[in-house]
Formats: sequence, C-alpha cells, structure tokens
Amino acid sequence: MKTKMMKAVLLASVMAFGATAALAEGTVVAVVGGKSDDPFFAKVKKGIDDATLVVQAHGGTVNYLMLQSYDNLGGDAANLVRTAISQGASVIAVPDWVPDAQDEAIKAAQAAGIPVILYNAGGADKAKELGAINYIGNEEYTAGLAAGAYFATHGMKNVICVNTVPGAQNLEDRCKGVADGAAKEGGVSNQLPLPASAFGDPTAVAEAIKATLLKDTTISGAVTISAADANSAATGIEQAGLTGKVALASFDMDGAGLDRIKAGTQLFAVDQQPWLQGFLAVTMADAYVNYGLAISNTPVLTGPGIVDSANIDATLAGAGAGYR
Amino acid sequence: MSDPSPKPSFGSLLRRPETGSFLGLAAVFLFFTVFGGSNFASLTGAASWLNVAASLGIIAIPIGLLMIAGELDISIGSMVPAGSMTCAIISGHFGLPIAVGVIAALCLGALVGLVNGMLVVRTAVPSFIVTLGTLFAVAGLTLGLSVLITGTTSVSIKAGPEAKFLLGHFIGGIYQVTILWWIAAAIFWGFVLHYSPYGNWILAMGGDKVSARNAGIPTERVTIFLFMCSSMSAAFVGLSQAILYNSAQVSAGQSYIFNAIISVVVGGVLLTGGYGSVVGIVLGTLTFAIVNQGIYYTPFDANWASLIIGVLLLVAVLMNNTFRRMALSYTPSRKVK
Repeated sequence: MKTKMMKAVLLASVMAFGATAALAEGTVVAVVGGKSDDPFFAKVKKGIDDATLVVQAHGGTVNYLMLQSYDNLGGDAANLVRTAISQGASVIAVPDWVPDAQDEAIKAAQAAGIPVILYNAGGADKAKELGAINYIGNEEYTAGLAAGAYFATHGMKNVICVNTVPGAQNLEDRCKGVADGAAKEGGVSNQLPLPASAFGDPTAVAEAIKATLLKDTTISGAVTISAADANSAATGIEQAGLTGKVALASFDMDGAGLDRIKAGTQLFAVDQQPWLQGFLAVTMADAYVNYGLAISNTPVLTGPGIVDSANIDATLAGAGAGYR
Repeated sequence: MSDPSPKPSFGSLLRRPETGSFLGLAAVFLFFTVFGGSNFASLTGAASWLNVAASLGIIAIPIGLLMIAGELDISIGSMVPAGSMTCAIISGHFGLPIAVGVIAALCLGALVGLVNGMLVVRTAVPSFIVTLGTLFAVAGLTLGLSVLITGTTSVSIKAGPEAKFLLGHFIGGIYQVTILWWIAAAIFWGFVLHYSPYGNWILAMGGDKVSARNAGIPTERVTIFLFMCSSMSAAFVGLSQAILYNSAQVSAGQSYIFNAIISVVVGGVLLTGGYGSVVGIVLGTLTFAIVNQGIYYTPFDANWASLIIGVLLLVAVLMNNTFRRMALSYTPSRKVK
C-alpha cells in the first residue's frame, strides 16, 4: 500500500515535471483532492475537469494531485501540498481536512510565494487565519439551519435528525443546525442517535425510526445524515403507516432519493453541490493568479442547495450526466 | 430456577443448551414490555425486532454452526454488500433479469466460501485470520469492481413484482418476507444439526478435530461445506436487502460480523466450539434484536442506547452461562435409571 502510493506520487511528480518543463511559462494550478472512486469527489473532479478548459484557454494547466487512500488524510494531503510546491505550482487549491497536519505545509507554500485557496473543507475562519485567497465549500451547520428552517416553514414543527454516526463533528453540526433552524421558525428538533450496532444494517435503522415515530406521534419530519440512511428512513416511515404524515429529508442524495422526491414521497434533500466546489476553486485560483481577480465575499458557500419538487427535473438531468 | 427436586424431566430441560438463552430472551422481553409500553408489545412493535432478527438470523445460524465446529467466518461482513452489489449491478445497472442477479450473487457467495474453506483446510491457518483476509479482499473487490463498472459506490435496483414478492415485500404491510426465509433456514439447519449425521460430526469437530478425523468423519468436507453455507447466507441477505430497499451500497454490512457473533454467543454456543443448538441461536438472535430495537420504544434518551444494550447482553449471557455450567458439570447420580 505504502510503496504503491509512493510509486504513484513519484510517477505523478515525474509526469508533472515533464509537463512543467514543456509549458515553462504557463500557469500551473495544482489541486489536491479526494479519490475519484468516491462518488462525492467524482463530482468535484468533474467540476475541476470542466474548469480545466478555462485554464487551458488562458495558456495554463491543471495538475490534480489525488489521495490514494483516506487512511492518513491529513498527512497525505500535507505531502501532496509539498509535492505541488516542489513541482513549481503557480497556485494551490486544497481542502483543509486536518488543519493540525496540513497548516504547516500550506504556510510553506505561501512562504514560497504560492497563493493558496481552500475548498471543500476548512471554513472561512481558517481561510482568514492562513491568509488564503478564499474558502469555497459547504458549512455543515449552515446546511443544517437550512434544513430545519425548510421543515418548519413547510409546517413540520417537530423533526428528528437521524444520526447513524453520533459523535462525528460534521454530523453533530448538521443536527445542531437542524435544531437551531427549526427553533428560529417556531419548531423543535431532537437528535436520534443510533448505536454502532445499527450502522450499515438498513433494517435496524428503519425499525429504529419506525419505533421512534410510533412512540412520539407529534413528530412530523425526519432528516437523515446520509443518502443511504434516507432509504432506510423511507421504509421506516412506510412501516409506521405514516407516509404522507411524516415528511422525509436527507443530507446528500442518491438515485433512490431523487426518485422519491420526484414521486413525492420525500420532501427535499440538502446538497452541498460538489461540482461547484471543484469548478469554482480552479477558475478562481486561475483568475487570481493570472489577473488578480478575487470574489469579495468570504466564504463562497456552494451549499446548502435544496433539491425539492421545484427543481427535481433539472437535478435528475444533472445526476444522469454526473454533475449532481 | 433452583430445583432441589430431582425431577428428571425438568432437570434435563434445564440442562438443554437453549434453556439459558430462552430465559435471557424472556428477561429482556419482560424488561421492554415494562418500559416500552403498549407500542412495544403491539404487532408493529413485534415487527420491529422480528425484521431485524430475520436478516441477522439467516447469517447467525451458519456462523453458529461454524463456531460449534470450532471455526469462525468474519468475511460475511463483506459478503453482505458483495451480494447486494452483485445483484444490483447485474439486475439494476445492466438490466438483466433479477434471477440472474440472484443466482450470480449466490454463486459468488459459494465461491468465497469455497476459498475460505479450502484455505482453512489446506493451510491450517486459523479461520479467524483466513476470513479476516477475505473480509478485506472481498471488500476491496466489491469497491474496485463497482467503481470500475458503474462509476459509483451506490447502485439502485428496481425488482419486478415476483422478486419483490419472494424477497422484498412486507407481509401484512409490516413483516418482512425475510422472516419466512429465516424460519425456513432455521428448520433446515435444525434438521442438519440435530437429526442428520452431519450434526454429530459438527459437534464432534468442535470438541476435538483430530479425534473426529480419526473416527472417520470427513472433517475437511464438512468444514468447506459450512464455510460455503455461511458466505451464501450472507450473500442471500445482501441481495434480499438490495431488492427490499431498492438500492445497494458498497460499505454496508460490517456490523453483521459482531452482531452475528453476539447473537450466537447469547444463544448459548461456546466460543471454543463443541456445544450449542440451532434453537439457542434463534433465541439469541431474537434477544439481540429485541435489546437493539426495544430501546426506541422506551422513554430512555437514545444516547444511552449502547450502554443499555451492553448491560442487557451481559445479563443474558451470564444467565446463559449459569445454565451451561449446570449442564456441563452434570453427572447422573445413579449409573442406570
């Protein structure tokens, strides 16, 4: 695993050196990113690929430095930033997943005169602290707020937030956002934390949701922290005989969820619109380093994008083409 | 519980492997009937734990038999998603008839089980290590091939009415049809373990493998057969979940490893092998499912769920152990009745 990864990094750097040598004068936008077999990053990558056309039109190149695994996220991402420095990148776009591990490398890039833009992870405060160009991405708490408010303004005043990995900070932020968003509109939301013995067992998740809905009949909405859990929740609501009475929503989405929104059995999904993250990170990095252009809003939030009956047809078309 | 009277029928009943697990089940059922209110005891409440127990139970029985025979199979954690992804890719992504997907998933299960069994028999490496290897290998294959073929890690599948009826519908709107498959599996395995020569062979292998082989039991064939059955059961659960939930994910299923082993142990099977029964495993699975799902009917904060699950399972196992000790240390006071 390690040697394979080192080989890949070595190969990538050799290839990149070749590329920089060939295009000595062009801008090199280095992008550190996740594995393309991760469905989320596949969409980010599509945005990066589309933005590459713009960079090429400006005479530059995009170099995607891909993580080989997520086992050592912070350390590996920091190494990829250092690889980008040694390749002579003109600008680096990188998600700040593990600030403690990555910030040193990001500062090293800036010390070498390479501007950095944060995307996907890190947040506005981090971008400001590091002196990065901007932060482009999602904020989990804000996404939760939108979900909570959507429920409450549509008449669902008592909502559960189904958390299959309680304790994970980003998921806790989502559920806390739901609670605060609902509270602002006069609603209430409690978290339903499920033990690890239920994770990955759709029946256990579905039955837990069913039992909760039967126990407290005032609950009128349920939101799940992942698209797969929404499939279980849909069954749970159906089993409780509450289809149409309890509205379903999910953070993120998959094909089955979009079909439900189309069919009217799911109210909405909260999307962080990954394509935008990749596309905007690369085009903004390119515009900044070539022409000194920068968006004055900080952060640039690509989410929450709400997918509901109003925009489901366009979303389905986007999903078919790999954009959503 | 304390029986000073030497009633032979009652005494022998107490010493049966499943008595302890039955009392454990009764204890947790009583606990949740008291704290869970009318919803828990209702038909919908029963469906909650029966549905969860069914898919877990189908895997737990062959795992239990393997444990009785002194082996372990943890690769089922990968076989569940492998089975559901195989079925979803073939019948969902490529749109082939659902039967092809189902058969392919089961064949994959048989193949992985065969590899597990052959490796265990031929190399004499402990089955825990062998199946730990295949656990990762199959997970990697599932992820790699899914991404290579479909480009995603989650595939949706729309099964026809026949497949839905057989594998993915709810009886009376609330009971998963999987429950019937579980009952069928329990009857089949009950027959194998308690009424066919295989049963005694399996028990003998768990007691002492070398002596069992010396006594003429085809231990290698039985071991391979059991591994194939556990993998196929996991694949079956995977494909029926894909059909039931209309989608398959690469990552699901790891929780089945621990949950199945817990169910088997709660059901009175010795971790060291050589002792246990199918009825006990069924009762253990029910106990585990009730403990896991009952919590949502109680007024307790769900944050405490894991704690309560842990404590109740310990109580159930301790109860079980007491009875097993009683059974294993039993010596008839008179030689002949």
